[in-house]
Amino acid sequence: MSLFVGNVFPYLAIAVFAGGMTWRTAYWLRKPVPYPLAVDRDQRGIAGQAGVVAAELLLFRSLYRGDRRLWRRAALMHASLAAIVIGHVVGISCSSRQFTVLGVSAATSVSMAATLGVVFGLLLTVSVLALLRRRIAVPEVRRISDPADYFDLLLLLAIAATGLMMRLLPLELDQQAVRSYLGGLLTLSPVPIPGPWPFVCHFTLVSCLLAYLPFSKLVHLSGGVVSRALLLGPPRATSSPPSPKPDCACLAGNRPR
Amino acid sequence: MKSPLHIAKQQDLDALGIEAAGKNTARDGLVSVLGEMSRSTRALSVMLDTCTKCGNCAEQCHSYLGTRDPHNVPAARADLMRRVYKRHFTLAGKSLGRFVGASACDDETIERWLTYFYQCNECRRCAVFCPFGIDTAEITIAARHILSRLGIVPKFMQGVAANLQNTGNNMGIGKPALIDCVEFIEEEMKEETGLDIKIPVDQPCSDILYVPSSADFFTNVDTMIGAAKIFHVLGANWTISSSALEAANFGLLFNLSIMRQHGQRLREAAAAVGASLVVHGECGHGWRAALMCTESASTPVPYRLQHVLDYACENLSRLPLSKLPLRVTLHDPCNYARAGGIVEQPREVLRACVEEFVEMTPNRRENFCCGGGSGLLMDEMMDIRLKLGQKKAEQVKAVGPLDYLAIPCSICKAQMPHVLKHNGMQALEMGGVLDLVGKALNLGGTKA
Amino acid sequence: MSVDSVETVHLELDEDGFLCDPQTWNEQAVEALARLEDIDELTDGHWKVIHFLRDYHRQFGIAPMVRKLCKETGFTLQEIYTMFPSGPAKGACKLAGLPKPTGCV
Repeated sequence: MSLFVGNVFPYLAIAVFAGGMTWRTAYWLRKPVPYPLAVDRDQRGIAGQAGVVAAELLLFRSLYRGDRRLWRRAALMHASLAAIVIGHVVGISCSSRQFTVLGVSAATSVSMAATLGVVFGLLLTVSVLALLRRRIAVPEVRRISDPADYFDLLLLLAIAATGLMMRLLPLELDQQAVRSYLGGLLTLSPVPIPGPWPFVCHFTLVSCLLAYLPFSKLVHLSGGVVSRALLLGPPRATSSPPSPKPDCACLAGNRPR
Repeated sequence: MKSPLHIAKQQDLDALGIEAAGKNTARDGLVSVLGEMSRSTRALSVMLDTCTKCGNCAEQCHSYLGTRDPHNVPAARADLMRRVYKRHFTLAGKSLGRFVGASACDDETIERWLTYFYQCNECRRCAVFCPFGIDTAEITIAARHILSRLGIVPKFMQGVAANLQNTGNNMGIGKPALIDCVEFIEEEMKEETGLDIKIPVDQPCSDILYVPSSADFFTNVDTMIGAAKIFHVLGANWTISSSALEAANFGLLFNLSIMRQHGQRLREAAAAVGASLVVHGECGHGWRAALMCTESASTPVPYRLQHVLDYACENLSRLPLSKLPLRVTLHDPCNYARAGGIVEQPREVLRACVEEFVEMTPNRRENFCCGGGSGLLMDEMMDIRLKLGQKKAEQVKAVGPLDYLAIPCSICKAQMPHVLKHNGMQALEMGGVLDLVGKALNLGGTKA
Repeated sequence: MSVDSVETVHLELDEDGFLCDPQTWNEQAVEALARLEDIDELTDGHWKVIHFLRDYHRQFGIAPMVRKLCKETGFTLQEIYTMFPSGPAKGACKLAGLPKPTGCV
């Protein structure tokens, strides 16, 4: 069982995630766009359009204009999630020594990494709880919600909670063992998963999230960009410059119906 | 709630030549055509897959805000299709069912589609506020097309489409009637200005084909007069076409094959008169269909397509205008501001024609729909139409004292008098932007 | 479609209250339709409008422009609304036995 959980399921999950995301994104992009769907016809250049995309992806502009409370919660949730993902990648690969580039000692860097991890973990937890509360309390949102919408938030909450437990509970968590385990997975020479149950839960839940993501609404990771892109840009110009005035079709007897 | 819509008879639909879904039951037909459409257009599949149910759209949709019917929240409206799509066409939907919001198509589904996809004005405001740009109008267009393939079309739409097929315009104006209308309008202009301002009909070798809304020959005559005066002053070599007298394209609003047919008709009319410029009149959805669908529907068009307000704006310096002593605001038709790129042009033209132009709030791409959009002009829908127009009425009231409400779209011109009357504003004069240009032009005749 | 019976007049009307078959139009039909439109009494003004509409439709196959209707009959739009509360398109055309004007109106 621990062999499956530790050494088989992670590979399955990452394969399903990568394959699933690729398949779904390619599925949409293969489809034609028979009629352009631009909303704004202002003739923005590439830089301008990149600015529009950035404003939406990074700053959630449409939410900012539409519903400030939602914007605060969603922006905080996504920002803390992004910080955590980046922090994990950088922190684990650098053994939490990444902040030595700022001139601090290794010990201080490790301490900073731990603190930042807890801070963003708490921010993620608070924002997910706020979104969950909104989904339950606001009638319009409640009415459009499916069970999966609650499940997704609860899954994130569980991941955040187990992650925080690893920092806040007095566990025997050997960071070097975690690095070895993850390194083993990456180099395709897996070793047994380290023991403390919060870590096993946390890692397994993340694997579940990855496998589940391409088939759920969380696919908005790529779908949102594909969808938004449809609304960009001026509609295709209707014609090349008008052709030289032909001999009138009317003179050739081509009468309208 | 059950839809109040009167539905067209099957024999009348058959005359339109709409391809039937070809399945034994309506439910099977719906699923079949939905599958066809989601497999053949990117928008439908990605927009149905990507909604995160954030609910940002709810407070931005005039249909929900006016009716307070939960199915009119854009995400809920889209869900009427999304549920069936997930159940029949996605892995998660087939395996996890209601957990992910999937459910099979049943008779109630079809009834709800008819009710709620005909309470969406296809205004696209939700697309502006959705983080992913999910465009409920696209979903509504697809839903109505699917319903038409099941033989479910509002009688109003069928009647308009029948006229469009038979005469090339929504009102069924044949050529003799058109000549009579044109002669009458020319007499009116002569009485007003002392000048012989002509409206050429089917004039060969014309540079410009002008395509008005057919309603300009029934109720909105001042719009036609404004256009005629502009062409006269500019010395344009222009004509209208008796076979393509319709800027509107109701096919966009209920069946996409009919939309393509009308687009083709415009193309042929332009070729017949040899026009290198087609100027499109004051019609919202028709402008969108012409601009965004004509070329895509078949081959590139051999003429320049331009909206009349863009044409007027381009030639503004050549129009001798005296500002009218009016306080005017502009209603941005949805298909101009959120599809057709006609946003600043009407403003520039209005500022040149009137002494005081004021904006309503919100405006431009965030403006609210009048409530009649997508052809919801049926009498039997009047109660719902008045609710759909509620946000618009609030906007107009908030502007304060006004002399004129500029509404450069035929459907809006048909809807707004009812909305204004219902909200105690029946005294407010309203009409097109061209109407004001016509009144502000100095033509140098015996009367100013 | 419904079958309405007012006194001894039988009319087949569509869902909008317009005559299904224009051939069934006669003066009795007009009186019956007027009652359905909450018009108490049909004056000479009413008949002038109705006959103008019918003549125009016979000649051109459509209802006349509203402005032309006003000019030729000598009534303002307000007066027409007073006579026909549903207006020239949905009220007067109905009583005149014309098909309902359709499109963006």
